[in-house]
Amino acid sequence: MPQAGSTPANTPTHCPYCALQCAMSVSPGGPADGTAGSADRGADVQPRQFPANGGALCRKGWSSAQLLGAADRIVEPLLRGPDGVLRPAAWDEVLDLVAAKVRTLRAAYGPDAVAVFGAGGLTNEKAYQLGKFARLALGTRLIDYNGRFCMSSAAAAGNRSFGLDRGLPFPLADLGGAGAILLLGSNVAETMPPFVRHLQGARDAGGLMVVDPRRSATARLSDDGAGLHLQPTPGTDLPLLLSLAHIVLAEGLADEDYLASRTVGRDAVARSVAPWWPERAQATTGVPADLLRTAARRLAEAARAARAGGAPVYVLTGRGVEQHVNGTDTTTAAINLALLLGLPGTRAGGFGTLTGQGNGQGGREHGQKSDQLPGYRKITDPAHRAHVAAAWGVDESLIPGPGVPAAELLHSLGLPGGPRMLFVHGSNVAVSAPDAGRVMEGLRRLDFLVVADFFLSETAAEADVVLPVLQWAEEEGTMTNLEGRILRRRRAVTPPSGARSELWIMAELARRLDSPGRFPTDAREVFEELREASRGGLADYSGIDYAALDAGEAVYWPCPADASPAGGTRAGGAARDSAEEDSAEKDSAEKDGLAGSAPAPGPTLRGTPRLFMDRFAHPDGKARMVAVRFGAPAEQLNLPGTLTLLTGRLLEHYQSGAQTRRVPELNAAQPELRAELHPATAVAHGVADGDMVLLSNGRGRVVARATLDSGMRTDCVFLPFHFPGDASANLLTSPATDPVSSMPGFKNASVSLSALPAGLPADALPADLPPGAVRRRGAEAAARPLAEAAR
Amino acid sequence: MSAPERIVVLGFGPVAARLVEDLLPAVRAGRVLVTVVGAEVHAAYNRVLVADVGTGRTAPEAVALSDAEDLAAEGVEVRLGTAARRVDRARRTVLLSDGGVLPYDRIVFATGARAVVPVLRGLDFAPHGEPRLPEGVVALRDLDDAAALLPVVRSGGRVVVLGGGILGVEAALAIREQGARAALVHHGDIPLARALDHDGGRLLSAALAAAGVDVVPQARAVAVRLEEGRFTGLELGDGTVVPGDLLVLSVGVRARAELAEGCGLTVDRGIVVDRFLRADTEDRVFAVGDCAAVAGRPPSGLIGPGWTQAAWLAKYLVEHPAPGFLDGPGPAAPAVDPLAEERPGIILLKARGVDVAAGGDVSPGPWDSAPWGGSPQRVAVWADPQQGRYCKMVTVDGVLTGFVAVGMPRTAAELVLLYERGAELPADRSTLFRLDDAALSLPPAPAGPDDVLCRCSGATHGQVGHAVGEGCTTVEQVGASCRAGTGCGGCRDRIEALLASAASTV
Repeated sequence: MPQAGSTPANTPTHCPYCALQCAMSVSPGGPADGTAGSADRGADVQPRQFPANGGALCRKGWSSAQLLGAADRIVEPLLRGPDGVLRPAAWDEVLDLVAAKVRTLRAAYGPDAVAVFGAGGLTNEKAYQLGKFARLALGTRLIDYNGRFCMSSAAAAGNRSFGLDRGLPFPLADLGGAGAILLLGSNVAETMPPFVRHLQGARDAGGLMVVDPRRSATARLSDDGAGLHLQPTPGTDLPLLLSLAHIVLAEGLADEDYLASRTVGRDAVARSVAPWWPERAQATTGVPADLLRTAARRLAEAARAARAGGAPVYVLTGRGVEQHVNGTDTTTAAINLALLLGLPGTRAGGFGTLTGQGNGQGGREHGQKSDQLPGYRKITDPAHRAHVAAAWGVDESLIPGPGVPAAELLHSLGLPGGPRMLFVHGSNVAVSAPDAGRVMEGLRRLDFLVVADFFLSETAAEADVVLPVLQWAEEEGTMTNLEGRILRRRRAVTPPSGARSELWIMAELARRLDSPGRFPTDAREVFEELREASRGGLADYSGIDYAALDAGEAVYWPCPADASPAGGTRAGGAARDSAEEDSAEKDSAEKDGLAGSAPAPGPTLRGTPRLFMDRFAHPDGKARMVAVRFGAPAEQLNLPGTLTLLTGRLLEHYQSGAQTRRVPELNAAQPELRAELHPATAVAHGVADGDMVLLSNGRGRVVARATLDSGMRTDCVFLPFHFPGDASANLLTSPATDPVSSMPGFKNASVSLSALPAGLPADALPADLPPGAVRRRGAEAAARPLAEAAR
Repeated sequence: MSAPERIVVLGFGPVAARLVEDLLPAVRAGRVLVTVVGAEVHAAYNRVLVADVGTGRTAPEAVALSDAEDLAAEGVEVRLGTAARRVDRARRTVLLSDGGVLPYDRIVFATGARAVVPVLRGLDFAPHGEPRLPEGVVALRDLDDAAALLPVVRSGGRVVVLGGGILGVEAALAIREQGARAALVHHGDIPLARALDHDGGRLLSAALAAAGVDVVPQARAVAVRLEEGRFTGLELGDGTVVPGDLLVLSVGVRARAELAEGCGLTVDRGIVVDRFLRADTEDRVFAVGDCAAVAGRPPSGLIGPGWTQAAWLAKYLVEHPAPGFLDGPGPAAPAVDPLAEERPGIILLKARGVDVAAGGDVSPGPWDSAPWGGSPQRVAVWADPQQGRYCKMVTVDGVLTGFVAVGMPRTAAELVLLYERGAELPADRSTLFRLDDAALSLPPAPAGPDDVLCRCSGATHGQVGHAVGEGCTTVEQVGASCRAGTGCGGCRDRIEALLASAASTV
C-alpha cells in the first residue's frame, strides 16, 4: 500500500496533538542538526499562519516530526509467540490470524465477544470507518472510545441544553475580542499554549476569570489586574456555578428578555439556585463570598455591555469541571449561567467547551460512540439506522444495537459475559483509563488483544498482535478542530515500508471476514461515504469535500450539501449565519493576526461558523435551562489524613505520553512523575522538595518526586497523567462514572501521601500497602524482544 | 399492601421544601403520597434571604425554593394558607384550619421556629402564638415582615435593630448599605457575643461603626415608644430613647412545637427526636429543622443542619416504609446509618465588605494553655486592628476546634473548610494567616542562563540572549532563531525588553 513517490516540500497540514490543530508546514528530511531523527524518515516542521494558532506552535508541535523517524518506532507487525515474546511477522500471517480469532471467538461466544476501542485522535475517516468496521465486519455492538474520558460530559450537557454538541459553537477567533471570559477547569497555558493568544482581549479588559483549584499557569494569566482567580476546593465547581447564578438572579442582573424569548425552564433553575447564597457557597467551596459576588457582577456587567454592542462575553469549560461524576450537571450549570447572561446564540458571546484531543470533535460525531451512528445519529432511532444502513449499502438489521460506554467496557474485559478479544486504535488505555490497574488486569484476561499503534505503548506491550500504522504526516484525511471547523491532514512524508494505514487494515480484515459494506483504503473515498452517512444528521458534512478544503475554505459543520458560501440554510435545526456575519468573521480572523507574518487572506466561509443565531436545535428552537443539584461526591473526600488527587497535563507531554516521552527534548524537560504539593502539606508529611513520595489508595499506589508550589491548595496533590507503570496517575483515579455521560470521575480521588525513604527502589514498597498495580512485568517482558525486533 | 404510603409534612419552609423535593422520585414511582401543609400563602422560600428582600437587594421572586403548581403536577398535594390545628396520633389524622381532616401513615413536623418577642412595655406577650405586633415593629422572619421594612429602607428612614446576634448584625449592615440609617442595640460589650471572642467582637463593633451603623452596646431595652399606635423609638433601661421609624426584633427564635406538645410528644426547646429523627417509638412521627431537638440538643437555628436532616429523612422514609407497608424493600432493607452528629454550627456573616467567620469554642486565649501544661487546647492569634484584621485558631492535636476570622476573607474561607472536615492545620499557622496577603506572589528571582524564558518552546534566557547577541532585532527574528515567543506569546514583553536593552547598549 505505501507508495513510494514524491512528497513535496512545505506540505500544509496540522499538528498531530491537541484540538487546537495548529497549522504547520511539513517538509521531508530533517534539519541539519539531525534532531528530527534519521534523515530518510525525518521531516522539518514550520508553523503556518492560521486563525486558531496565529502562526504559533508550542514545544510539542515544534518537535512533533522527531517521532517520524524515532528509533523505537514499530515498522513491522509483531506477533506474540508461544514463549510470550513479541516478534516480527508478515502482514498476511497476522491478518489471517486476527480474522481467524474473530471467527473462532464469535462462533463460540457470539458477536459481542469482540470489542473495539477507538480514539479522539483518529481522523474523521478512520473514526467513521472504525465504527462501521465494528458493526458490520465484526458484528459487535461493543465499541466505544477514549473520547468518553474527554468530552462526554460536555457533549451530554450541550445536547441536553442546546440540542446539539459542538465544542465551540462560534469561531475561536471570536474570543480574541472578548471583554470577559469565565474559564472553568482548563489549563490552556499548558495544554494548548497558542490558545492563550485568544485570551489577550479579556486580559486587557481585566476580565479573565479562571476557576481552578490550582494556581495554574492559566490562573496566573489573571494576575496583575488581568482578572480573577477563584480557587475552589476540588469537587465543588457545581456549587460555585450555582452561586454565581444565584447572585445574577438575586441582584436582578439576568437578561430576562432573552430568557423569555429563547429559553424554557428559567423559573425552575432560579428555584434551584436560591439555596446557594454566596456565604453558603463559600462554606462549601472555600471561595470567599465577596469574590463570588465580584466575579458574578463583572460577568454580568460585561454581558450587559456586550448586549449593547460591546465586547462579547464567554463561559468556557474544560476537563477540570467535566471529569466528575457530576460533570454533566456542572457543565449544565455553566451553560445555565451563560443563558442567564443572554449569551449563547448571540453576538454578545456564548458558551463553549474546549475539546482536548486532536480530533476530539470529529471523533465524537461519526460512530465510535457506543450509542451513536455517523452524523451524530442515534443508534436506537429507527430512522437514523435506516439512513445509515442505506449509506452503508446494507440491511438495517445488520447494524447491532447500543453497546456500553468506555469505562464499563474496559472493566468488563475477559470477565464472564464481557468481551474476550479487543481491538485498540489510537489509545493507550493501560495508562489513560481510570483505575488503570484494573484495566491492565482486564487486558491480561483477554483471549486476544490487537493494538494498532506506531510505538510499543504500554497497551501495545500487552498485545498478542501489534499492527504498525501511519503517523500524522504520512496520511491523508480530515480533522475537526475545537471550533467545529473541518481541516485537511495531508501526507508530507513517505511512511516506513512496513507500516500500513488503518483504512487498509480494516479493508483487509473486512475482506477476510466476508463483511458486508464497503471498505475503501483511500481517505477521500471514505469521506465521500461519510458525507452521505452524515447527510441530514446533526453533524452534517454532506456539503464538504476535499476540493473545498484544499482550496482553503473555512468550513464549519453543520454544512449540508445545498449550503453555498453565501446562502443561508438550516441543518439539524441549527441556523447558519448570514453572509453579513461571515464577513464579520473574516474581520475577526484577520484582526487576530498576532505574531509572525501577515495573516492569510480571509478564507471563504462555508457551513455554520456560528450556531444557534436564530434558534437552538431543539424542536421548538429554544434552549433548555435544566435545574441541577449538588449531591454527595462518589468518593468521600477530605477525610482526615487524606488529600484529593488532581490530575492534568503538562506543557511538554500529551495524554499517556506514549509519543511525547519519546521526544528527547520533551522527555528531558519532564522526565519523571512529579507530584505538586503546597509547602505546608509537604511539611505536614515530612517531605522536602525533591523527595520521593508514595501516593496510595485502595486502587493502587504511585511513586513520584515531590515538587513544592505555594499555588496549590493545602488539601490537594496534583499529578500529571503522562507516565506509565508505577508513575501512572490513573492507578489512583476512580472508575465511578457520571450517570448521564458515563464520564469517569478522574478528578475526585482521595489519596494518602507518605515520604519514601531515599534510595528505596519502587518495587521494594512496603507489603502492607493496599493491593496496587505496580506490575511492570508484562511491559518489560515485551519491551526486550522489541529491541531485538528493531534491530 | 398495594396502596401507597401517605406522608404528611406539616410546614412548608426551606427544610420541608428539601424533604419534599427528595421524596419526589418515590412520589413519581407511586410509592408514596405526599401532602405538604403550609400556613403561609407562599410556597417555600429561602428564609435566609428575607433581610435581602426587606432591604431591596433582591426581589421576593428570587428567593423562591418551590413552586406549588410544579409540585402538584408531580403528584404532591400542596395546601397553602392552611394551618394544622391538631394532630390525632391515635387515629393518625391531622385537623386543618379549614376544617379538613388529613389521614396519614407517617407525619413529619417541619413547623420551624418563630421569633421571640421580648418582654417590653408596649408589646403583647404571646409566647405560644403568632405574635401580634404594633405597626412599625417586625421580626424579619417572613416576606410580610420584609414588605414592612422595604419602604422604610427605600425612603432612607431610620431602623432600630434590637439584638446583636447574627441576624441583627446582618440586618443592620444591609439596611445601612442600602442607604438607610441603622442602629444596632445589643446586650453586653460586643455583638455576636455567643460566637466571637472579645477581641474579635471589638473589631466587629469597629467595623460596624465604620460602616455607619450606630452601635448601642450594654443596652437593656424596656419599652417601645408608640405614637398613634406606630413605633417611634426604643426606650432603654437608663431612660434614653433610640428613635427610629421601624423596630426590627432580632432576639432569637423559639421552636414552633405546641402542635407536637398537644399530641403528647416530648418537647424541650424543640420536639425531641432521636438520631433517626423519630419523635415516637412507632416510626410514624418525625421532626426536622428549626422545630426539632435532635438527640435532645436544641435546634441550631441554622439552615444547613436542617437541609442535611431533610435529605437524610427522605432517604430513610423511602428505604423504610411505614409499619404495614412492606411492599418496599421491607424488613430486608439495609440498615440506615443514623444521622451523623452535627458539628457545632459555623457563623458566616452575610454582609458586603465586613468579613466575619467563626465556629466552635473560641474562648481560650493564646496564653491560657501554654505548651507547659494544662489544657490540650493550643491557640494562635493574628491581630492587626489598624487593618481591620484579626484571626484566632484554637486547636486540639492540630485539629481546629474553634476559630474567629475578621477582615480576612480567604483565611476565613479555608478555616471554615478545615473546621468542617476536622482536618489538621499546617504546623506553621502563619500559612493560613498569610492567605490574604496581597503581596504573596513575590517577584521572581533574577533568571540565570539555563532558566526557561519561553515556557511554550522551552527556550532559555541564555538561548534568547545568544539570539540577540547574534544580531536579532525583532521578536520574530528571535523566534526564528530559537523559537522563543512562538507559542502563547506571553514572553514577548520580556524578549522585547532584552532587545531594547541590547539596542541601548550598542
